[in-house]
Amino acid sequence: MSNVIRASHLTLSYNNGEKEIIKDANFTIKKGEFVFITGPSGSGKSTLLKSLYGALKPSGGNLMVGGQNLANIAPKKLQELRTHLGIIFQDYKLVNEWTVAKNVVLPLMIAGYSRDVQQTQAQRLLHHVKLAEHAERYPLELSGGEQQRVGVARALSKNPVVILADEPTGNLDEYSSNVIWDLMENACQQLDTTVLVVTHKIPTIFSLPYRHFIIESKGVYEVH
Amino acid sequence: MKFIKNHLMFILPLMVILLGIEFYLVFERTTQTYEKHLTEGYTMLVVSKKPIKLTHLQKLNPHITKAKEVKRESIVKKVGEGLSSSNSKEIVSALPYFYDIGLDAYLHTQELEKIKLDLEKDNNIKRVETFGSTYNSSYKLFSLVKFILKIFIFFMSIVSLFLIVKQMEIWKYTHKERMQIMEIFGAPMMLRAGVLFRVALTDAIFATLFVGAMLYYVKFYWAPQSGIDVIMHNKERLFATEDMAILFTSSLVIVILAVYWVVSSNKRDVE
Ligand SMILES: Nc1ncnc2c1ncn2[C@@H]1O[C@H](COP(=O)(O)OP(=O)(O)OP(=O)(O)O)[C@@H](O)[C@H]1O
Ligand SMILES: [Mg+2]
Repeated sequence: MSNVIRASHLTLSYNNGEKEIIKDANFTIKKGEFVFITGPSGSGKSTLLKSLYGALKPSGGNLMVGGQNLANIAPKKLQELRTHLGIIFQDYKLVNEWTVAKNVVLPLMIAGYSRDVQQTQAQRLLHHVKLAEHAERYPLELSGGEQQRVGVARALSKNPVVILADEPTGNLDEYSSNVIWDLMENACQQLDTTVLVVTHKIPTIFSLPYRHFIIESKGVYEVH
Repeated sequence: MKFIKNHLMFILPLMVILLGIEFYLVFERTTQTYEKHLTEGYTMLVVSKKPIKLTHLQKLNPHITKAKEVKRESIVKKVGEGLSSSNSKEIVSALPYFYDIGLDAYLHTQELEKIKLDLEKDNNIKRVETFGSTYNSSYKLFSLVKFILKIFIFFMSIVSLFLIVKQMEIWKYTHKERMQIMEIFGAPMMLRAGVLFRVALTDAIFATLFVGAMLYYVKFYWAPQSGIDVIMHNKERLFATEDMAILFTSSLVIVILAVYWVVSSNKRDVE
């Protein structure tokens, strides 16, 4: 199995290297693996995800994602790489002036799928995350947990190669959380999607084998 | 309300610029006829011993386009009423030939002097008389008005451009989040700018139509009953249909530049 992600001596920092968040991290993640990332608040979990989708350039070392080195990737290549990622943000990042349905199909829109395909896919996914009746509403008319599920549906809409999820169940009750975990397990199992999930609470019932990374005092460690 | 205000803040300055462009076009057109008018109102009279052909005069100076012979009989008729016909015939044959000269353009005083000198070089030509006391002063006033109007149009356009850029800053702010989200999901620049471009394009179309309607009203309703001579005479030159194309192209160019500016400066913010 090939490596989808490989970090070697990865250092991440803000303010032009002044504020170091992660230092000299080394890890590899293979295709189809399911990874949980935990760690105290402010330890750099979101920062690590940010670097994985190319919004934060490594200040040291290399970070390979899908065969591209994010330390020196060309803008065009980064744009192309991003179309294969399904990103779920801690703060949802929905487009407030778009309907829920339109938000969900953003990745399909970017890939140039027809309106028909977009519509069917939006219905299917919103049904999965139990929001079918909210398709034509706007994000600000939904509760936090509902917005979060829209974000999940969007990340899954184009069957991404890698899912990068930041606290995807942070605002959800146990029932809704389990719905989300099921969706991710399915993607991983049926489509061989690589899944990285930042969470503060690893689900107690989880049917797939998974790996567990902890971020602590600038280091990324695997728990065995 | 905010929606309308947002659009007006872009449409109004754009309209000012379009009106400036239209004023300029109309002014250039009326100027041409006014200059023609002045050229025709100006008289240069050539007195020569023998008949002269236009082509000969044109060899002396290329600005000459017309040479109308003034009938000597008509001069004598006016001068010598009561003279016998044989007497007047004698007088006619003793008279030199008079030509009324027409010029090709509205020329500066110095150039007129040069034409005069060029003509006087010919031995046949006894005298060159110019009658144009008003010519010089009207030309100067005319040039001044033309200059002032162009400066005015220029400054109005600059001020309006500033307003447009200000409005673009607001757009940049309101569209920033969406464009950043789209960028994270790998949307190419054209798609990210798409919505902004559509909004701006709609505004550009509205601005062009408003200006067009205003000018149409001025031309067909206001001008005919304005009571102002110059305007009534030049009604046809006020607003031509082709102008719509020029105005629309102009607003399109402004919109494209503005959108490009917003999108590219947003990109700089992310990095
Ligand atoms: N844009 C930024 N500029 C400067 N510092 C930042 C920026 N974003 C985050 N930080 C800092 O980096 C550190 C790690 O932040 P990060 O968001 O990665 O933490 P986290 O592990 O995701 O925390 P949480 O569990 O609360 O979400 C924090 O100290 C934070 O203040
Ligand atoms: Mg975080």
